[in-house]
Amino acid sequence: MTMPKTISALLTGAALGLVASGMALAAEDFPPLAPLPDTPPIPMDNPQSEAKVQLGKMLFWDPRLGGDASTACVSCHNPDQGWAFGDALSRGYPGTVHWRNSQTVINAAFLGKQFWAGAAKSLEKQAPSAAKGAVAGNGENDVMEARLAFIPEYRKRFREVFGPGYPRIDDAWRAIAAFERTLIVNDTPVDRYLRGDKSALSEQQLRGMALFNGKAGCIQCHNGPLASDEKYYNLGVPPAERWEEDGLAQITFRYEQYAKGVTQEIYRKIKDDAGLYYRTKLPEDMGKFRTPALRYTLYTAPYMHNGAFWDLEEVVQFYNAGGGENEFTDGTMAANKTPLLKPLGLSDDEVADLVAFLEGFSGDELRVEAPTLPPYGPLDDN
Amino acid sequence: MSTSQSGGYIRLALFSALLSGSALVFPATTVAQDFGPVAAPEVNPARAELGKRLFFDKRLSGDAALSCSSCHQPDKAFTDGLALSEAYPGSKGFRNTPTLMNTALRANWFHDSRIGTNLNDVTRENLTEDYIMNMDMRLMQERIKQDPVYVEMFEKAGLGEPSNGGVRKAIPEYLKTLISRGAPFDKGEMSPAAQRGFDLFRGKAGCAACHSGPLFTDDKVHNIGVPENPDLWSDPMRHMTWVAFASFMGVENYMNMRRDVGAQILRHPADGRDIGSFRTPTLRELKYTAPYMHNGVFDTLFEVVSFYNQGGGDDPNKDPRLRPLGLTHAEQKDIVVFLESLSGDLLNTPEFVPAAPVPTNYDAIENWRETTN
Repeated sequence: MTMPKTISALLTGAALGLVASGMALAAEDFPPLAPLPDTPPIPMDNPQSEAKVQLGKMLFWDPRLGGDASTACVSCHNPDQGWAFGDALSRGYPGTVHWRNSQTVINAAFLGKQFWAGAAKSLEKQAPSAAKGAVAGNGENDVMEARLAFIPEYRKRFREVFGPGYPRIDDAWRAIAAFERTLIVNDTPVDRYLRGDKSALSEQQLRGMALFNGKAGCIQCHNGPLASDEKYYNLGVPPAERWEEDGLAQITFRYEQYAKGVTQEIYRKIKDDAGLYYRTKLPEDMGKFRTPALRYTLYTAPYMHNGAFWDLEEVVQFYNAGGGENEFTDGTMAANKTPLLKPLGLSDDEVADLVAFLEGFSGDELRVEAPTLPPYGPLDDN
Repeated sequence: MSTSQSGGYIRLALFSALLSGSALVFPATTVAQDFGPVAAPEVNPARAELGKRLFFDKRLSGDAALSCSSCHQPDKAFTDGLALSEAYPGSKGFRNTPTLMNTALRANWFHDSRIGTNLNDVTRENLTEDYIMNMDMRLMQERIKQDPVYVEMFEKAGLGEPSNGGVRKAIPEYLKTLISRGAPFDKGEMSPAAQRGFDLFRGKAGCAACHSGPLFTDDKVHNIGVPENPDLWSDPMRHMTWVAFASFMGVENYMNMRRDVGAQILRHPADGRDIGSFRTPTLRELKYTAPYMHNGVFDTLFEVVSFYNQGGGDDPNKDPRLRPLGLTHAEQKDIVVFLESLSGDLLNTPEFVPAAPVPTNYDAIENWRETTN
C-alpha cells in the first residue's frame, strides 16, 4: 500500500520535527528524507551495460579527453578526495585555476541537473562541458575524437558497445555517464535508519536528525532521497578568499563573467560568483546556487560552491548565524538572500548533534581500482 | 594568353628557356621581374613593441606551455628546425613550421593557403587552433589584463584596454618588422657561382615560374609531387592531429587518406584535383630554415634542387610544367649557392627579441574588491 506523498511528508514532519521543536515548518512544501534507491534514472537513449560501464571507467581516467592530454575527469573528481577535489576551488586546467569547488560524482546520477547552477541537464551533457571548458579540460571535439580512434583498445570497445565505425566523441560522454551511474553510495547509516534499522543512528545522531527536521530547518531545502530539493538559493556564502590573493584566480573570475555573457556594467563591477544568474540573466537569481546533496559529504570538504567552509561544523555554524552576507545579499549587486535563513539559536551541543547526524549521510568510502589505460597505436592496426 | 596582359612583367621564363635552347616551355607564366630587395612596410613602433612581447609570451597558449616563438624561433629565421612541427602538448604537428620572415607581405598564409585575408586572422587561427596553441581567447584577454606591463603597453599602442582584438592587431604589427635584410643578393654581393645559379633559376631550371617577386614566391598553390613524410602516417600522434584537422576541414574519406590533401580543403573539387597542392614557399632565409617542403622531407637545398632536376615527384595531380631539367651536378650546386645568397641577417637582436624573458606568472591585483574589473 502506498501513501500519498504529502500525507507521508506531513506524518514524518509531525513525528520528527514539528512536535519536537514547535517550529512551524510548512511540511507540505517538501518531501521527507528518504533512503536512496539502488538505481538512478537511466535515460532511454543511453541504457546501461557492463561493457559500457567498463569503457566509461577507462575514459573517466583518461587525460587524452582534454586539451593537452594532462587533465582527465578523475583529475578533479578524485576517488581519494571524495570523487571531488580537496581544495576550495578546483585545480583546473594547467595554467589556470578553476573558480568553483569540485562536486562529488557519488550519487550525481540522481541529480536532475549538474553543476552548481544546474547548467547541464544530464551527466551526458556535464562531461563535455567539463572536458571542453577553458579552465577545466580545454579539449576540443575534433582532437579528442581523433585520439580515441588511435587507441586500438578503444576502437574495439566502442564497436562492442556502440556499433560499427570509429569511436564518436558523444559516445565517450555516454560511456562516462554510464560509469557515473554506478557510483552510488546508499548504504549509509541514514539510509539504513530510514529503511527501518533503528539502531543505525546513534542517540546523538537521532537528536541531530530531530534538529535537522525541526529547529534547524535544514529539511526545508535538504529533503528527499538526496537531501536536496535541487532548487536554487542565495545563502550569503562569503566570496572565495583566493580571488583577493591569487592572480590566476582573478583571471579566471573575470574570464567566467566574460564567457558567461554578463553586461559590461556587471563585468566591471562584479566581485562574486552570481550563480544561477549566468543561466537566466534574471536579477533575482544573482548569488543563487543549487542546494547540494548532503550525501558523501564526510569525504568532500571543503564545502559550498566556492569551498568557503572547511568542515561540517563551520557549515552548521554558518546556518546557526542565519547565513551570511555577500554582494548579492547586501544590495551592492542584488538583495536576494533567502528568507528561509534566520539565526537558529542552536547550542554548541546541538551543533555537535547536527554534525554527527550529517556524518551519517556518508557511509563507507567508495574506492575502485584505477584502470590501466590503453596506448596509442596505428590506425591500420585493428 | 596575350603578352599584353603581362604589363610590367616579361615572360622571363619562356624567354630564358628559348635562349638557353632548352625544350622546357612555361606557357602561361608571367614572372615578376623585380626580385628584390624586400621593401619594408611602415610600422607603428608602439604596437610592434607590444606585439613582440606577446609573440614571446607563453601565457598565450591554453596551458601556458607555448608561445609563438616556441615554433617560430628567431635563431632559425622563425622556424624550428624540425621536419614536422611539435604542436601543442598532447598533439604532434603534421606540417613543417614555415618562416615568418616577410610574412606581412604574403598574399595568403599556411602551407595550404587556407587564410587569404590578413595576419589578424592568421594570428587568431594560430592562437585558437586546438593543435597549435589551443587558447580560449576570452581567457587570453583576462590573462593579459592581469599583467600591468601589458595594460601600459596597450594604452601606449593606442589599443586601449587589453583585448583579443588588440592582440590580433599587435602581433601582426610585430610581424611587419620581420623583413629580410642584408642578403648578398640584395647587396649586389653575389659570387660568380651565385650569379650562374641565378641565371639558371630564371632560365633553364624554370624556378622563377613560381618563385618570383621580391619574396621569390607567387603565393599560389602547386602540386609538385613532394613525397609524403612517412612519420606523419606512422606516428599516431601526428596522424591523429591530421585526422582532427581533416575532419574539421570536411575532407572526404579522411580516415582512409594517407596523403596530405593540402589546398584541396579550400574548394573541395569533386575530382580531387587540388589534393597535394601546396603554396609556393618563399626562398628567402633558406639557410636557416631547413628542412624543406611543407612536410620537411628534404634536409638540404641540394636535395630540393635535385628533386626538381628529376622533374619533381610522383603524383597524378602534378603540375605538367615539372619535367626533368637536365641540370648538371655543377649547375645544381650553382643554384644552391644562389639560393643561399637569398639569406640575410638573423633577426635575433633586442630589436626583435624581448630583452628580458616574459614572465610566466601573474601578480594578484591588490585591493581587488575595490578595483574595477
